Amino acid sequence: MLQQSEHAVNVSRRGFLKGSAALAGALCIPLPVLASGRTVDSGPHGTNEITDWIWIEPNGKITLGLSQCECGQGVYTGMPQILADELDADWENITVTFVTGRDAYRTGAAYEEPQQFVGASMSATLFYQRLRIAGAQAREVLTIAAAKRLHVRPGQCYTEKGRVFHGATGRSIGYGELAEAAAKLPLNPTPRLKAEADHKLIGKNLLRLDTPAKVDGSAEFGIDVRVPGMLYGALKMPPTVTGKVTGIRNADVVKAMPGVQAVVQAPDAAIVVATSYWLAKKGADALELEVDPGASRDLDSDKIMAARVAALGAPEAVVATTLGEPDAVLAAGGKRVEADYHTPYIVHATMESVNATVHVRDDAIEVWGPIQGQDFVRNALGKLYQRKPETIIVHTTFLGGSFGRKFLPDFVVHAARASAAVGKPVKVIRSREDDIRHGFYRPGVSGRFRAVLDEKGMPKAMHARLTGQSLYGVIKAERMAQHGGWDETMLEAIYDCVYRVPNLKVDMIDVKQPIPVSFMRSVGSTSSIFMLESFVNEMADAAGMDPYRYRRALLAHNPLAVRTLDAAAKAANWDRKPAPGVTRGFTFNLYTGRGEAFQTYVAMALELERAGKAFKVRRVVCAVECGRSINPNLIRANIEGGIGFALTNTLKSEITFKGGVVQQSNFHDYPLLQLSEMPKIETVIVESDRPPQGCGEVSLGPTAPAVAHALYQATKKRRRAMPMGLDG
Amino acid sequence: MDFVLNGKTTRFDGDGDTPLLWVIRDDAGLTGTKYGCGIGACGACTVHVDGNAQRSCVTPVSTVAGRNVTTIEGLSPDRSSKVQKAWIAKDVPQCGYCQSGMVMAVTALLKQNPHPTDRDIDAAVSNLCRCATYHRIREAVHAAAK
Repeated sequence: MLQQSEHAVNVSRRGFLKGSAALAGALCIPLPVLASGRTVDSGPHGTNEITDWIWIEPNGKITLGLSQCECGQGVYTGMPQILADELDADWENITVTFVTGRDAYRTGAAYEEPQQFVGASMSATLFYQRLRIAGAQAREVLTIAAAKRLHVRPGQCYTEKGRVFHGATGRSIGYGELAEAAAKLPLNPTPRLKAEADHKLIGKNLLRLDTPAKVDGSAEFGIDVRVPGMLYGALKMPPTVTGKVTGIRNADVVKAMPGVQAVVQAPDAAIVVATSYWLAKKGADALELEVDPGASRDLDSDKIMAARVAALGAPEAVVATTLGEPDAVLAAGGKRVEADYHTPYIVHATMESVNATVHVRDDAIEVWGPIQGQDFVRNALGKLYQRKPETIIVHTTFLGGSFGRKFLPDFVVHAARASAAVGKPVKVIRSREDDIRHGFYRPGVSGRFRAVLDEKGMPKAMHARLTGQSLYGVIKAERMAQHGGWDETMLEAIYDCVYRVPNLKVDMIDVKQPIPVSFMRSVGSTSSIFMLESFVNEMADAAGMDPYRYRRALLAHNPLAVRTLDAAAKAANWDRKPAPGVTRGFTFNLYTGRGEAFQTYVAMALELERAGKAFKVRRVVCAVECGRSINPNLIRANIEGGIGFALTNTLKSEITFKGGVVQQSNFHDYPLLQLSEMPKIETVIVESDRPPQGCGEVSLGPTAPAVAHALYQATKKRRRAMPMGLDG
Repeated sequence: MDFVLNGKTTRFDGDGDTPLLWVIRDDAGLTGTKYGCGIGACGACTVHVDGNAQRSCVTPVSTVAGRNVTTIEGLSPDRSSKVQKAWIAKDVPQCGYCQSGMVMAVTALLKQNPHPTDRDIDAAVSNLCRCATYHRIREAVHAAAK
């Protein structure tokens, strides 16, 4: 454990990265020493802190900090890869550790105050330069320390694999020997970054650092946390999504059950605390609750759909985009195309259901878990228990999937309430059933698209109207009201339509519902791209044109889009006739990151084949232009997984409500894609000299419309609603 | 009751209806075996009972009395089983949560069928992966079967 005085040395240096007066305060927190021996918040991750991100032991062992949670997207490898490259560390000799509690780890993206979180596929884009600078700063002070030791000039030295070399004499010193001196040197706010051609790790197909621990069971997920004296908690939640617990009828009976230590009433759940999870679960199952069903008591899926469909024909809507004179051109003559589309509510269904371990103490609150938003947790618990956020210590484990779900702190609050009641650390695990019935859903949307085509079949005018429960109408109502009253998440890729449509109107209606909603991988684009791309295919069909060439004409003004379309078509042999029994779908997506943080181009060619009476998606070619690759292996994994995730959405996922109660509860009635249903996937990474752009969500949107169009080719029936199934 | 867990005789004094999963995780402290659904649908909890793949979340501990239970921790001391090596070479995991169960299911499959076809793999591996790493799982199964 590092001494307090050594921290003080670094205070002034750290300010260079992201100057902040608050930082010094953050460093003065007393560092709790834990019985379990884990490193703690804001604490050191080894001796000789060179920057907020890099610690070097005298023996040369390098620890690289990771601020972004690893939920499968690959940051545990990709982010250290950037640091290690600029640092010239030996990749075989580094350790990665999750870090938290400093401004260096916070970003102000997605219209939020600066905070530590993962979201919106932005880690690579937001941290690329920051980590390169940190690595280069460290390399520079190590070089200066070496030059001093060797009585030479820094400019005569170079670095390689964790050593500083003096070129003229061939003498060298390892980073470990230099670390103590380097840690005392001031950091240069503008260090010289390597030329791209000199990168040895960035751009390489490195294997994931966390794979070995994930094939032998040793990787620690939130659900695996064990701390001394820990108890276990299980929930009983009210049936409706807005239900509140107003009383517990048989608390005494349950308290007398084997192993049960306490029964805790929270606003939205009762929590049984016991000596093992199974005993807690048995206790929770035996609880009899008194509940207030809340605002969702009359909520039914057919009523929700009826309200959305009625809004499609409403005379007025909130207009997001008007180009040219859409109303006049649509009212005039010409070949018309019209279609309505619908998507359902869906839920994250992470394989690791939400869970957390919390110890509420007088001096601090300690949290261990699969946390996607460390500062959200600090703020939520700080508010609940009137504590300063910096006294809330958050230990991030691996996340067994998140897709946006573990960004919300609700499950941490349950564990905190249980711990506060019993005065011990408690791990609360939500059952799969409650994970599905009490989620934060991606809202379902309906869309009506109308177009008039010119004599060549290209759209002269288009009107897109989307209706449904607006996500931002719930979680960012103020921002939405200030920005024209329309929700960019509902209209993704439509309000800023990349296709050449000279007269365009895009509008929406927020059909309010009392359903908890949140971000889910690809957010609104899993609905909006399905609709837009399906409609482009319907226009291409009306024009009698091939869907690839139709898009090429609509995107002729955008060279990156055309390159991406061409890359997919080439890899898929699009111009060759498909094999007998095979039909194909072609789609495109310009994915704009939240707050226009990045732009990634995606084109997809999908093959469907007949399999008995039904169909099977057999092959998907996906071209992606996502800027410079940090690690192509990770990009490919995100594209592959994104397509599989999207196939679950496309073919299977639907959450329905009856009397405010979610009708699905587990994988038997909320099924996921199976191995047997997974197509072969070929990812084509289009060469790019743009900085790294997001790739975690971009392959989802184009998948459903590609399936729908391939099914249309095979059956001549339009699939305009998800989930669509693959029956003939 | 006693059973053999990764080669060691293990005693459990609680209720016989306790799912083997929670005995392995909370009592034996081996957390590589995961809870996913509790109804035997996802396979994240797959272990071997006398060499056969079994879903431990729906296996009452009483039913393994006197039998050999192997978890991911007992598969090899150093990730050296051919399935684990293939998983590393193909870089299969994303979030990784389901992969213990996947590795156990595939290990059992290859024991019974050393060279499975795609169709054999489809039929035998019903474990779920929300990250949809299936594309690489299939490649890794074939690589391990070589």
